[in-house]
Amino acid sequence: MPRRNDQQELNRELNRLQTLFGRRAFLGGSATAASVAAMSALLARDAVASPAAIPGPMPGAALPTLHIAPRAKRVIYLFQSGGPSHLELFDPKPGLVSQHGTELPDSIRMGQRLTGMTSGQKSFPVIASKYGFRQCGQSGTSISELLPHTGRVIDKLCLIRSMHTEAINHDPAITFIQTGSQQPGRASFGAWLSYGLGSEADDLPSFVVMLSQGSGADSNQGLLERLWGAGFLPSSHQGVKLRSGGDPVLYLNDPPGVSRQLRRSMLDGLAGLHTLQRERNGDPEIASRVAQYEMAFRMQASVPELTDLSGESAATFDHYGPDSRKPGTFAANCLLARRLVERGVRFVQLYHRGWDQHNNLMSNIPKQCRDIDQPQAALVEDLAARGLLDETLVVWAGEFGRTVYGQGGLVEDYGRDHHGRCFSIWLAGGGVKPGIVHGATDDYGYNIVRDPVHIHDLNATLLHCLGIDHERLTYRFQGRDYRLTDVHGRLVKGILA
Amino acid sequence: MIERTLHHLAIATLATVLITVGAIHARAEEPADARRLSYTRDIQPILATHCFNCHGLDEHSREAGLRLDVRELALAALDSGTRAIVPGKVAESELVTRITSADDDTVMPPPSFKKPLTPEQIELLRQWIAQGAGYEPHWAFQPLRRPNVPAAAGPHAGWPRNPIDQFVLARLAEEKLAPAAEASRDTWLRRVSLDLTGLPPTPDERAAFLADQSADAHGKVVDRLLASPRHAERMAMQWLDVARYADTNGYNNDEERTQWPWRDWVIEAFARNMPYDRFIVEQLAGDLLPEASRQQRIATGFGRNHVLTTEGGIIPEEYRVEYVADRIQTTATAFMGLTLQCARCHDHKFDPISQRDYYRFFAFFNSIPDPLVPYAAKRLVRVGEPTIALRNYADETELASLLAAKAELKAAPPAKDAGKPDATKTDGAKPEPTKAEADAAAARLKQVEEQIAAIELRTTRVMVMADLDTPRQARMLNRGQFDQPGDTVDPGVPAWMPPLPEGTAANRLALARWLVDPRHPLTARVAVNRWWEMFFGRGIVETVEDFGTQGSPPTHPELLDHLASDLVAGGWNVRSILKSIVLSATYRQAAEAAPEAFARDPDNRLLARGPRFRLPAEMVRDQALFAGGLLVERVGGPSVKPFQPAGLWEEVSVLHQATYVPDAGDGLHRRSLYTFWKRTCPPPALAVFDAPDRETCVVRRSRTSTPLQALVLMNDPTYLEAARGVALRAVSLADRGGVSPGDPVRRDREIIAQACRLVLARDAAPREIDLLLQKLNEFRRHFQGDAEAARRLVATNDAHDSPLPPDELAAWTIVGSTLLCLDETISKN
Repeated sequence: MPRRNDQQELNRELNRLQTLFGRRAFLGGSATAASVAAMSALLARDAVASPAAIPGPMPGAALPTLHIAPRAKRVIYLFQSGGPSHLELFDPKPGLVSQHGTELPDSIRMGQRLTGMTSGQKSFPVIASKYGFRQCGQSGTSISELLPHTGRVIDKLCLIRSMHTEAINHDPAITFIQTGSQQPGRASFGAWLSYGLGSEADDLPSFVVMLSQGSGADSNQGLLERLWGAGFLPSSHQGVKLRSGGDPVLYLNDPPGVSRQLRRSMLDGLAGLHTLQRERNGDPEIASRVAQYEMAFRMQASVPELTDLSGESAATFDHYGPDSRKPGTFAANCLLARRLVERGVRFVQLYHRGWDQHNNLMSNIPKQCRDIDQPQAALVEDLAARGLLDETLVVWAGEFGRTVYGQGGLVEDYGRDHHGRCFSIWLAGGGVKPGIVHGATDDYGYNIVRDPVHIHDLNATLLHCLGIDHERLTYRFQGRDYRLTDVHGRLVKGILA
Repeated sequence: MIERTLHHLAIATLATVLITVGAIHARAEEPADARRLSYTRDIQPILATHCFNCHGLDEHSREAGLRLDVRELALAALDSGTRAIVPGKVAESELVTRITSADDDTVMPPPSFKKPLTPEQIELLRQWIAQGAGYEPHWAFQPLRRPNVPAAAGPHAGWPRNPIDQFVLARLAEEKLAPAAEASRDTWLRRVSLDLTGLPPTPDERAAFLADQSADAHGKVVDRLLASPRHAERMAMQWLDVARYADTNGYNNDEERTQWPWRDWVIEAFARNMPYDRFIVEQLAGDLLPEASRQQRIATGFGRNHVLTTEGGIIPEEYRVEYVADRIQTTATAFMGLTLQCARCHDHKFDPISQRDYYRFFAFFNSIPDPLVPYAAKRLVRVGEPTIALRNYADETELASLLAAKAELKAAPPAKDAGKPDATKTDGAKPEPTKAEADAAAARLKQVEEQIAAIELRTTRVMVMADLDTPRQARMLNRGQFDQPGDTVDPGVPAWMPPLPEGTAANRLALARWLVDPRHPLTARVAVNRWWEMFFGRGIVETVEDFGTQGSPPTHPELLDHLASDLVAGGWNVRSILKSIVLSATYRQAAEAAPEAFARDPDNRLLARGPRFRLPAEMVRDQALFAGGLLVERVGGPSVKPFQPAGLWEEVSVLHQATYVPDAGDGLHRRSLYTFWKRTCPPPALAVFDAPDRETCVVRRSRTSTPLQALVLMNDPTYLEAARGVALRAVSLADRGGVSPGDPVRRDREIIAQACRLVLARDAAPREIDLLLQKLNEFRRHFQGDAEAARRLVATNDAHDSPLPPDELAAWTIVGSTLLCLDETISKN
């Protein structure tokens, strides 16, 4: 169990409440129009927190202080669900053109584990990427012609071509990269951060999740709440979904016919009853409950303000691309991600579905790339322009890569199976070296030949950038001190700025 | 989010309260040498966290040949010639030299381990060695012995009502504390009704209890509550978390399953007050009982409630091993409070469980068939054999005749070759049918098969346990990996525990009987502790899930053993234990206390006041429906789908094919334990109140306080509907009471009073009524000025025939909502 000094937290809550509301809310007097207006003004404060004001761990968080000077204060995680093909996107293998259609040599495959979907195949023909690569930026890093916008920002990216994972099926692989274990029950990255550092925005959750559907194909792999779940941590640390349809946060909107003024009036009455309750019972939990209602009330204002993009300029929409005007798209979510980190949200996780291209990869991967290319490049540039990139860590990753051999043999509109032996991801921003390529794979994009980076190494390094020693962010559960990185994880020093 | 997690440990001899934050930091307030240290309480947690990783049970990670978990070995001479611990001689103890070394190369723990000792911990270790370095065996692994009940003494000698109170009072006396006053009858009635049935008392039940001045009034209430079907539902509610019950398979594809008859078995077991030993045996091995009934086989669904993958391309053996591992973890956690799973990859770091012990346990569950269940596109229900098929009588008889018809049609000889001449009969043989006859038969067969398939679709299949005819040989798995088998192992239990029953096969039934052997040190302790937590919000052992050496020490060890002994001696009678708890003076205390008392003991470990904490998710919702007169009480049956925001299933499910359609009618208002539980997307309004996703066994929920909970209470249509129900009922009750319509203010006050009785099960204080009346008039003015708003608010969900005009109903609905949002309402007080 977390052992927090709740008296300290209580004092903080009470101080904050008194600062915000004075005694009026507690006394339950009737709210005049003027006092409602005054209240609203109070509530609208800090609508956009200055980045410089964002502190380290909040009082009451599990970590009293950071272990290391932080380079990043928040994370935007652009998760590509399904396993994007490194061979079409980030890991050029020009030598494969001449090998196209030939059998993958046993010396490369080395009898490694395959999924049940291709382990029965008689032939493993090498498939060269249909799509070319081009050198980009000052660094001259080659990436896919399908990602021209991303190419534009390549000098801001730290590309890792030597990621590897232990799982080769979706559920265990995506659970592994997000929680450090292949099996259910552990806490997700964002939940660990919320637990370790607390919430710095008091009118928004500290961990926000957004989903989008890819254009490539309907998703034959699901998403799971456990990916943003709290696992064994207190459930308040789980990610909060920000949705494009209906209530942006579940149950956020007042019922039909209930105005803001009426809600304020109702909450004043509630606070008055709570004051009477506290007079009978000294339980500090009651004060906490009062504080939660007030935070809910603030969220009811701050979330619509957050999701209202009408104040964004036409230039911004043009920058993120036409999809950014369509709620629920990856592009719109990228724009929201920027607005969230501006408002002090610590961990923003996007999931973009549709990368599981066992068949028709050739015809579908350009559509997936169109979904993400312009907005993700714009996000990096936008953060940089606003001075936020230096302290925001942007992570782009899927759960694994894809096989060099074709699934279903040599066909025109080829597909590729899951491949955990190597895949590519990129990072940008706080704490990582821009414009570099880390690690390399063999001529077939099948095995790693230089600087392998394991999932635990990645998570250890991300935590390091955030000022946390991954071995010292622990939670005692069932007699054991659990970590995001289990008992593994080494810093990838080569990518640290 | 405030959590009451400040730990208080008491040093018995000095009544010094040590505050622990993070690790154990002993803050000595008395001269150090004055304290007699306890190994279990003061030393073992330090050694476990900082030393046992390299100097504990696991020989693979042991350094320098030193073990600190066993006294003889800790005292033995090391290769270097030194001794880690020399009792009474601090200066000669190498352990002290090393933990106080300033040299990074020699200091222990090594800096790379990142778990340095605090100065206070070092001082504790020094004192402990100075005092002779006494060890104690781990309390929970010692046989259960009935402790003597301490005599009640002192100024509160008259306070105890039963032995529970004598144990509690003895501890309070040590701490120089006094028990709180008795809670009001209202408070106790609501508390006990919620605890035993999950629902508050009705106004009539309350009136009856308040009027009953007999000496046994409380006992009569408890008997009534225990006999109610609601009690069985309430007990099942807790067990569903433990048994990781859900209505879908979990993992990537997360199809539906139809495991609810197992859930109904649990309700039925509690309804009959099934002895806890039978409750265990039937769930673990009902199929192996002599002449096992269908119900006993359904009970074994406990071992099949785990997550089940149908993901394409998986390696079946990998997941089969995970299923067995899940059964071990669930069984060990639920019944023994043991973290057996820690020994899957290596010997347990803290408890005396070797990796071999783990795989001997594994062997008990290794012969469940666990076949691969393949993915089937568009099939919304997927279950793995073996199952028990449940059909209604009509389907059962129809299926029998269809199967007979199918067999007959299949047995018919094929149509003769068209080329051959007709009617070449041979004596005694069946006549070959004509082409026309054969076609008709084929059509009939197709029809029969379709009818069989239709019945199959309506059939409920409960996954159950059964063993293969030829058991699978269990093997050790190197690092726990399915593809790295090692030595063969046979079923068995750790040598330090009681032996398996003699003269029977070492199978699941033997394991189950071993668990309920009165000599078993853990089963009864773990059970009563879990129930204690249900009532007091915190177990006597706080770590309900871990009774091992890393778990919390019991606050009242003798009380725990007293209750556990009672459970065994009483024939594992669950209700008798529950009854003794709720009738104790300890439970009957008021929860109110001065701020200093909360500061002194925020978690109420010492039980100097009554329990007060937020209700579990299900109760928060059920109570609102109940107060609003909406709750549909019917026991059992398929799970139901109440309101939830649209699109949640669709946005995460494979091919977006899982769609959530709220039920029409009763399904909207059943008790929450019947809510359909989709593992990858649990019911959001319950999850936000800390209900788990049911992917793994959970014996202790977190208890948080968040703004998302406030949003649910304010805005979820279910709560709004309940608020309107409260309003309508309160108006009706007040009007029935005959308040003069000519005195509108008095009538308003009476309606408010009735609403408070419905929601809070108590009479409102005049100041509360004043405040609510003032708010009511504000709400009225608001809605009188905005008729459209009033109309929209009261039109939410199903329209009710209301005797009130929309603006009145809307105003009263907001009053009802205010009451449902109160901290007091969603708390047990």
